[in-house]
Formats: sequence, structure tokens, C-alpha cells
Amino acid sequence: MFKLTIVTPERRLLVGQEVDEVTVPGFKGELNILPGHAPLITTLETGVMKWKLKGKEKQDQAVISWGYCQVTPEGVNVLANMADLPEEIDVQATKEFLSASEKRIMNELITDENWTEFQRDWSRARAKLDMAEGQIKK
Amino acid sequence: MASLKDIRARIESTKNTQQITKAMKLVSAAKLRKAQNNIVNMRPYALTLRKVIADIAVTNKVSHPLMEKKQQVKNVLLVVISSDRGLCGAFNSNINKFTEAYYKENKDKLEKIDFLFIGRRAHDYFIRRDITPVDYITKLDKDISYELASKVAGRVMNDYLEGNYDEVRIIHNEFKSAISQVVVCETILPIDLGLTTFNTEKESATNFSVDMIFEPAPEAIIKDLLEKHFDLQVYRTMSESVAGEHGARMSAMESATNNAKEMINKLTLTYNKLRQEKITTELTEIVSGAEALK
Repeated sequence: MFKLTIVTPERRLLVGQEVDEVTVPGFKGELNILPGHAPLITTLETGVMKWKLKGKEKQDQAVISWGYCQVTPEGVNVLANMADLPEEIDVQATKEFLSASEKRIMNELITDENWTEFQRDWSRARAKLDMAEGQIKK
Repeated sequence: MASLKDIRARIESTKNTQQITKAMKLVSAAKLRKAQNNIVNMRPYALTLRKVIADIAVTNKVSHPLMEKKQQVKNVLLVVISSDRGLCGAFNSNINKFTEAYYKENKDKLEKIDFLFIGRRAHDYFIRRDITPVDYITKLDKDISYELASKVAGRVMNDYLEGNYDEVRIIHNEFKSAISQVVVCETILPIDLGLTTFNTEKESATNFSVDMIFEPAPEAIIKDLLEKHFDLQVYRTMSESVAGEHGARMSAMESATNNAKEMINKLTLTYNKLRQEKITTELTEIVSGAEALK
């Protein structure tokens, strides 16, 4: 059991909550952190992160985009640029955004400069949709 | 002498003005609360980020161009944050005065001073004084998002890294409380994390394991982290300025409402005096008319 903190510049999701298990989309792929993990600092990709609050069976989830994760003996600190909780996701709007960006990629030339941003927005929307649909199935 | 009708019209229009200022005050109060929340929400992020950077820098002795002080400062970029709209007391004029004084004082010492304006007020002021900025950004009050701030920050940082500037300073209103804002000038590039204090204080680094795993390597991480830190600094100053703007507008509107109230009182007094005078004159006329008929 350790403490989890998830913060973004605009809001704080969790501060010092006790958790049993954390899964983050790390630089080298998905990363599962259990108590006693070696100290680590990694960059995070856009994707779904999951955590299990102390004594709970169900996992909580959030889409985070582009951030940092620091694992220390005391706990895990996640600094993300943006974070979306499943209940905040507007599925309709996200779908529209995805199809709009797919159209854009077919018809427009996207410069290298815009490409990173485009890709980040796209993968964020994709992850949001994945998470939202996964929740409905449950 | 103004007639009764004139005074009545003035009272009416002052009342309308009072209603408007009152409404503006309430709106500003609501916006201020939101802006203050923004600042509070940002704090944990800022603290954690700073700690991570300090930890890495101390244990790995990495340095980065963003952190190195230049030997000689010749070219300076001034980022000036004001508001888009007026009616907020001395909020913008303080910024403008400060910036102008700074410019006059340092114009001869430095080779070049460039401006980047955030907010329309400062931009308009300096355009009238024939100072053209390298860039300017408006529509601040609608939403100052982290995204907007990081765009500005990215632009400034690129200019700095390309060697166009030796120092970047930001001039903004610091939010002390709802009624007091102070103009401050901070050096935001090169980044000064106050690492010297961390180096002497061994204890802050002792609970940080040296065997830390880095993915990717520390040099790459510190680069990204510093960029984030810089983004955040810009976001922080912008949020403070917006909170300050609403605070300033709130107190300006408060005093405007009070002034309007005072004015209405005065006018009502004059109105009543005039009315009584008129009645007295009329009465005298009627009485003397009746006397004459006898």
C-alpha cells in the first residue's frame, strides 16, 4: 500500500490517496506499480491510467495525456498535462472529434510542426473513447 | 439653475449607472473566485514538479542551457501582462507606467529590448508610443488555459534557445489579495530554481535514492521537466494577473457604486429643496393674488 497523487496544472484529481496498485502508460509501455517498487522516474504517454484504491476491488480510471510519473518508496506522483475522468467524457463529442480528425488527415497536409499536436489530440480522444466504451460494457 | 425635470433626469441616469456598476462588481466577484481556485489548484502540481527537478539535478548533476546564466546580458525580452478590458482602476496604468520606466532606464544599457504583450491594454498603450511588439496575445479573460500559456511559453523558449535573447523578464500584477495587486518584474529565463540551497542542504537529497531508474535518460527528462516548469511559470503569472484584474475591477466597481449613491443623495436633496421653493413661490403668488382681488 502506498500513496498516489495525480495533479495537472488546472486541477488535482487525487492527493495522497492510499492505493494498492497503479498502472500507468509509461515511456516503454504499460507499467504496473505494486508496493515496494524500485524508485523510478519516467515520462508518460497519452493513455488510460488505472489505480485501485485501498481495500477496493474495482479499479478507477482516467485518461491522462503526456506527463511524468515518479515512484518513490512513499508513493507515486503523477504529473499530467491533462486528465479526464470517465464520467466527464462526452462520447458524442469525442466521436465527432475523431471522425473530423480522420477526415483532416485524409484531405489536408499536416506539417511536422502540427503533427505532434495533432497526434496527441487524436490519441487522447481515442483513449477517452476506449475508456468510455469499456465502462459501458462493465 | 437646473429645472426640476433636469434634476429628475440626472437622478434617473445616475441610478442606472449605479445598477450597472453593481452588476459588474458581482460578476467580477464570481470571476475572481474562479481565478483564485485556478491558482490554488495549480499549487500541488508546481510543488511536485519543482521537487522532482531539484531531486534529479542534485543527484545527477545535470545542467541544461535553460538553467545557465549568460555572462553578459545584452538582449532582453519583456513579457508584459495586462488585461483586455478597462474599468479596473489603476491595474493597467500601473503596468504601463512600470514598463515605460523600465524601458527608459535600461534602453541605453542594453543593446535591444523587445516586447511581447499579453492583453490588449498594454499593447494599445505602447503602440501609441511607437513601440512595436514581437508578438501580442489577447482574449485573456475568456479562458486562460494551460494550453494557451504553454503556447506562449514554447514560443518564448525557442527564441531564447536560438540565442535571440540573453534574458527574459515578465512584468505582471501579482495577486496579493482582492484589493491589492503589486506590479512585479521577474526573470523567468534563465530558470533559477534556487538549486544552490538544495546543494547545501544534503537532507533534501538523502531520502532520494541515487539508484533511481530513469526512462528515458536523466538528461532527456530534465529537458522536458524544465520546459514544463517554464510553461507553468507563464501559466502562473497569467493566472495571477487575471485574478488581480478581477480583484481590481471588483474594488473599482465597489467605489463607483458608492460614488453613485452619494451623488444620488446630493441630487435628491437639491431636488427637494427646489421643489419646496417652487411650492412656496406658488403659494405666495396665490395668496397675493387673492389679496389683490379684495
